[in-house]
Amino acid sequence: MAETEKKVAYSSIPMRTWRWLGINTAYLPEHIPETTPIENVKNIKVEPGQTANVTVVYRDEQRAEIHADVGDGATLNLIKVQIVGSDMNHVDSFDVKAGKEAHVNYTAVEVGGATTEAKFNIDLAGDNSSADVWALYFGDKDRSIDLNYVITQRGKNTDANMQVRGALKDKSQKIFRGTLDFLEGTKGSVGRENEEAILLNEGVRNRSVPIMLSHEEEVDGHHAVSIGKMDEEKLFYLMSRGLNLAEAQRLVVDASFAPVLDRITDESLRTEVSDYLKGRISDGE
Amino acid sequence: MENKKNFIEDIERTLYDIKDKDNSVYREKVGLTEDIVRDISERKHDPKWMLDFRLKSLDIYNHTPLPTWGPDLSELNMDEITTYVQPDAKMAGKWDDVPDDIKNTFDRLGIPEAEKTSLAGVGAQYDSEVVYHSIQDRLTEQGVIYTDMETAVRDYEDIVKEYFMKLVPPHDHKFAALHGAVWSGGSFVYVPEGVQVKIPLQSYFRLNAPGAGQFEHTLIIVEKGASCHFIEGCSAPKYNVTNLHAGCVELFVKEGARLRYSTIENWSKNMMNLNTKRALIEKDGIMEWVSGSFGSHVSCLYPSTILHGENATCDFTGVTFAGCGQNLDTGATVIHAAPHTSATINTRTISKDGGKATYRSAVKVTKNAPYAKCSVNCESLMLDSESRSDTLPVMDIEGDEADIGHEARIGRISDDAVFYLMSRGIDENEARAMIVRGFVEPVAKALPLEYAVEMNNLVNIELDSTK
Repeated sequence: MAETEKKVAYSSIPMRTWRWLGINTAYLPEHIPETTPIENVKNIKVEPGQTANVTVVYRDEQRAEIHADVGDGATLNLIKVQIVGSDMNHVDSFDVKAGKEAHVNYTAVEVGGATTEAKFNIDLAGDNSSADVWALYFGDKDRSIDLNYVITQRGKNTDANMQVRGALKDKSQKIFRGTLDFLEGTKGSVGRENEEAILLNEGVRNRSVPIMLSHEEEVDGHHAVSIGKMDEEKLFYLMSRGLNLAEAQRLVVDASFAPVLDRITDESLRTEVSDYLKGRISDGE
Repeated sequence: MENKKNFIEDIERTLYDIKDKDNSVYREKVGLTEDIVRDISERKHDPKWMLDFRLKSLDIYNHTPLPTWGPDLSELNMDEITTYVQPDAKMAGKWDDVPDDIKNTFDRLGIPEAEKTSLAGVGAQYDSEVVYHSIQDRLTEQGVIYTDMETAVRDYEDIVKEYFMKLVPPHDHKFAALHGAVWSGGSFVYVPEGVQVKIPLQSYFRLNAPGAGQFEHTLIIVEKGASCHFIEGCSAPKYNVTNLHAGCVELFVKEGARLRYSTIENWSKNMMNLNTKRALIEKDGIMEWVSGSFGSHVSCLYPSTILHGENATCDFTGVTFAGCGQNLDTGATVIHAAPHTSATINTRTISKDGGKATYRSAVKVTKNAPYAKCSVNCESLMLDSESRSDTLPVMDIEGDEADIGHEARIGRISDDAVFYLMSRGIDENEARAMIVRGFVEPVAKALPLEYAVEMNNLVNIELDSTK
């Protein structure tokens, strides 16, 4: 208990559940400041009708925040790549409010760091606004990944799409909390959430928490989670074509990650992340 | 197509809401004290170990906080709850020996009729005591035991001592501790090795006294290779004071055994239903849950299955219908604790008229459960925007040899589906009724026929076309 009291809560799920599952609250890792330093806070304002393309790459240990206001009819394309060193901790948050007919396209790559705490809150406040989120995580060695994603659907006819792909190896562990929250009045809205988690070693631990809250009748919400090891038939097929097990596994993970990585528009960054992941997935095989 | 509102009537409760005069011969003082616990124990002629167990549970209760999750339980004031109400009846083995007023209640609920036509044994509890228990001679000759818990503590003490609150220990949560302190009544079932009880046993729990609690304990042991189907029914008339139900169900399914546990819960809407159910399944054992939650003001009900032996399986089917003034927080938990275990969870929830339905679940695969498989499907239907429907599933998987799938959906009655049915000549009201019946069909078909009919009758549809 004394140890718990020392921990600093960073985020929590909108609706609590059994404590023994250990997923109600995410805590800050050690050596991370309790408040975000001013230089690590980024504010983005996208004027009505405009489009902003922003890419943020985290390479060093830090606590960071991004706040965005996307005006009516505007579009924010935000790409976040987190590849901090394996001995570092990383904490970041992304809060955005979308106006009428505004669009938020968010790509998140969470693959670095010894400990990762990442959260976002996308508020689809305006009618006909949308969020299209594609995220990937990869854990190996003793890495710990903790994600808390929330999309709040407030305006009418909003559209939320949350697609998460991940793989865990060695003794890594991860918690993914993904919430679609349909508020009263968000008539005609749709929400989809999907997570595919590939488990590569017996030492891994995967926790998935797909939450859906609804206070509105006229919505269509759907979530799905698939957790398991690689499809053995796929591996067998690839190995029958001359690949060894490590190569076959890497190819299957690559295929799962491709829809996320393909959204990184900067080609050199995409190649860097792809090569970095290939090395990690194959390492030790 | 014009957007029309669905109106689904409240569950027809007339039958359940008939209040009988409170003819209890003894009513414990309200509140919860050591003196009250000692008094209950003395009245039940508990052995010393049971008194000690009750007192230890009371101590745990006093030191355990309320849960920090789930529905608000602040309305529950234990200082206003009577934990023990003794009806004016002794346990009878013949229906004719049950006092008339109590007999009439169960007659109205169709219990003796069901016994004649489709049950192998019946237990009936009225307030805090079991007033009737019967079992077919044929089963008794095969060694099957079906009796009330007090008789079991007296006549089968060694078995009860080995299993009682071992699966749901008092420190599990505050209301498990409360149950351990003041439990009264309930059923004990023991099915010996290899015996197949092909016709269901049924216990019916009726809480008549206002402001009272019911704390029955159900303990079922199905030995190696045996099988049994147990049905539990619950109801109460509505009062304007809070009643409490904090029962406890412990199920032990041994190697190669099979148990089906079906519940139709239709408590009145002043009831706080904080029930705990748990099953431990050994190698090759099969556990099947069928759970219908229709009544109560607040419910917290998550039958839990521990797949403890290799190849053990569990199948959970549940339906929850939350109407006006109801907050029904239901679901299931499954713990895979052995290799090659498998589970399916299939639920449907409906919320209407300001009701709140929450689906809450946990699937845990431990390190020593390789090749575990689990499939979860939960669907929620909202019939208006005054209501709430939330789903909160958690999957916690250790190791890589697991295959876990989860799918959930929240939505309304599809206008396209209504339009299609209407194009086939079905009027709109009937089309909507058909869709709702189809929605709960996976549960209805898992119920014994007479319960499936009753459940369909519970859902009566009208359409308000004024909007």
